[in-house]
Amino acid sequence: MRMSLSLSVAVSVLALGAGMAKAQNIDPNLPVYEAVSGVSGNLTSIGSDTLNNLMTLWSEGFRTNYPNVAIQIQGAGSGTAPPALVEGTAQFGPMSRPMRGTEIEEFEARYGYEPLPMRGAIDALGVFVHRDNPVECLSMQEVDAIFSSTRAGGADEAITTWGQVGLTGEWADRPVAMYGRNSASGTYGYFREVALFGGDYSAEVREQPGSSTVIQGVAADIGGIGYSGVGYATADVKAIDIRGADGECYSPTAEDAGSGIYPIARFLYIYMNVDPNAELEPLRAEFVRYVYSQQGQQDVVRAGFFPLVNFIAEQDLAAFGLN
Amino acid sequence: MTIINDQRPPASGAAGLAGVAARDTVAPRSRRRYSADLSALGEPALWGFGGALALGIIMIAVFLMAVLYNGATTFWPKPIERVELTDGTVIAGVERRGTIYRPDMATLPEEVRAQVAADDGFAYRTLYQTANFDLYGDDFRWVADFEVADAANPADFYYFERQTWGVFVGRIAGMTIDGQEMAYDPAVLQREQRAARERFREIRNIERREIGGINHLIERERLNQRRAVLRQGEEAAAPVVAASQERIAELQAEFQELQARANEVRAVDRRYTVTLEEVGGRQITPEISQIVRYYPANTIGLLDKVGIYFARWWEFVSAEPREANTQGGVLPAIFGTVAMTLLMVVFVAPFGVITALYLREYARQGRVTSIVRISVNNLAGVPSIVYGVFGLGFFAYAMGGTIDQLFYPEALPNPTFGKGGILWASLTLALLTVPVVIVATEEALSAVPRSMREGSLACGASKWQTIRYVVLPKALPGIMTGMILAMARGAGEVAPLMLVGVVKLAPALPIDGFYPFIHLDRSFMHLGFHIFDVGFQSRNSEAGKPMVFVTTLLLLALIVAMNATAIIIRNRLKRKYATGQF
Repeated sequence: MRMSLSLSVAVSVLALGAGMAKAQNIDPNLPVYEAVSGVSGNLTSIGSDTLNNLMTLWSEGFRTNYPNVAIQIQGAGSGTAPPALVEGTAQFGPMSRPMRGTEIEEFEARYGYEPLPMRGAIDALGVFVHRDNPVECLSMQEVDAIFSSTRAGGADEAITTWGQVGLTGEWADRPVAMYGRNSASGTYGYFREVALFGGDYSAEVREQPGSSTVIQGVAADIGGIGYSGVGYATADVKAIDIRGADGECYSPTAEDAGSGIYPIARFLYIYMNVDPNAELEPLRAEFVRYVYSQQGQQDVVRAGFFPLVNFIAEQDLAAFGLN
Repeated sequence: MTIINDQRPPASGAAGLAGVAARDTVAPRSRRRYSADLSALGEPALWGFGGALALGIIMIAVFLMAVLYNGATTFWPKPIERVELTDGTVIAGVERRGTIYRPDMATLPEEVRAQVAADDGFAYRTLYQTANFDLYGDDFRWVADFEVADAANPADFYYFERQTWGVFVGRIAGMTIDGQEMAYDPAVLQREQRAARERFREIRNIERREIGGINHLIERERLNQRRAVLRQGEEAAAPVVAASQERIAELQAEFQELQARANEVRAVDRRYTVTLEEVGGRQITPEISQIVRYYPANTIGLLDKVGIYFARWWEFVSAEPREANTQGGVLPAIFGTVAMTLLMVVFVAPFGVITALYLREYARQGRVTSIVRISVNNLAGVPSIVYGVFGLGFFAYAMGGTIDQLFYPEALPNPTFGKGGILWASLTLALLTVPVVIVATEEALSAVPRSMREGSLACGASKWQTIRYVVLPKALPGIMTGMILAMARGAGEVAPLMLVGVVKLAPALPIDGFYPFIHLDRSFMHLGFHIFDVGFQSRNSEAGKPMVFVTTLLLLALIVAMNATAIIIRNRLKRKYATGQF
């Protein structure tokens, strides 16, 4: 999955060029969405809170095309999506991480086929510090040594003060205060897998109920450090660079996140219960089409994520039988 | 004053102490009476009680003032500042707040170091809302005072509230009216903006009302087909399906017509655009209809400011949210909160009152009733999230799932009642608040004098007649008090609702113009959840902060209004009863 992400977005970035500083461009090859008739009904989405805003923007956009479609959105964490899909209480299960094997099995046991994911957007996780913190760049080992108790990345000792990552003066003795997500969150799981090398979080990490709560925590704590989607950044915090395998520092920008050089980037998924032997009903089919349109990917930028390229859109549309 | 105090016993509070002081001057002999231990007098305890009360009042007052101040000032139009920085960049934005901080000396340029050092290493910085998220990729920026080369409030800067992408801050570079490019003319743009918003509402009206209605009918036909097939089998249902298909085709034709009409208006709309230029010179050209509101922030007069202030409040309470709930209004949330609370009262009132009536009037007082009472009281102490879990498991999954299988099989696997909805949410809250009502009703019933019951029974009334015509009317004000408490608790509760039907965005209200008009299965929005969501889940928490305060203010006002109504009703009942007695 990571491979295909890197490849396709690298292509797109080359094609689009790095025009503006932060504002995103959208792949011009993506189709412009046009409404069809006869689409109406209720949809419910239960899952990731990272995707909460994006799902809301998508449904607002979808509703300008289909005024009487009602989409209800609940976001309490990616972990709530699989049970909702299994129970049939939701048609969309947005998740900020891929489903685990056990979750897929549970779904399969009920329906006899696997849930079908669509990749809706790309999200880079930023490691945020207080805006006055002079630290510029951390390696993955250092991030691991800050957040984990296991240090699976190979660091010798846990990092508890900012002096241990090379800060001087009044910063040298200032303790590191970690902010993270609660365990139902997909961000929590993804960060553990990638930045903690599969290790365990330190008990000192303050678990927060939402992505922007992490930011608010770091903003209010001069020694704070936390991880959250880059889209949630405010002027009160600073996203630091991460040192890649080649020793260079990379920022969480669209280019570096997309090309995979920035190491903590991922797809955001929307899982669905799609019977492989039946045609997808128009309501959900049109929603999928909307997501992979110019308008849908505009919404991605508005929500603070990085848009997809046509290449991925075509792959996923094919998987849904919508070409 | 002194005379009255002199007549009182000294232990009756602070007034007594004052009296003592007065008496002291007259008769020193009384000093002996106060040689007793200080704690025996009750005075220290009194000071403690008074202090605790004062502390409580102060805390509530500070909280209310904070909410009121932040909430009430949010919508006031503020000036735009154009700031030139020493490194040559120029920004324009609305000042939000400022703080004192200690800059890192090592990173400061040589010339400001001395200046900061002179202030003991402290400097001041200001947060500007620079807006223009589509161009910049962020909407806020901190600027330290020593970075500023020049600041001004240029007259040609406008503040735009847009339908999408949030706020824009910049100049108006030009406009296109009906395809004709022309220079900016304030009067023309003002007129055209109104016309464009009218077009926008027209498109929305066609889409929501008319197309929405057709879509609803098509969906119903589709479900009818499935129901027929499910009940009668594929073959027997063929005629029904065919008729329904025909009807759908008709509706489709109608839909095409409406769609064409909406597209016509849209085509017209695209001929009216305005070119906006941010402070750095980059331009965007949105349709005029995208501009919800705009004003020249630095030249606007007081009267216009007041106008904008109230227009924003009106939008807030009467419009739907936009930009993932961080802008626009909260009408669906207000509606959801009120509807859910009222529905809860409808459930909780009869259950609570009947239970209390039986417990107090009919049941034999003994061990069993004591156990029931203790259980009810304990129920009031169960954490609300537990009710939420119960509501989800029992109401939504078990009951709702069964209802779906029996009555709505055609919609499966999409659940109708088998998920969170306003019905299950109000039932869950009714469960949560029923102990309050039971306890209050029991208290009210036991407060009815025994003589009244006996009088009624002596006149030949049956037990039920006594309860119905004597006991209940007398107890009604007390029962209403219980109801008010239950309502206050229910309207402010959020945690269990998140599990049983509150959603971030519920585009359809639980009551609308489509048969059967009241849709109890629908999820709904709630002000309390809205506060949590905007404050802690929105992309830009900085931009969401003012909305949190405004929504809190509104929720408080709503609860006060609902309680006030209940209190007025209670007082009327009291009066009615008081006159009926004699």
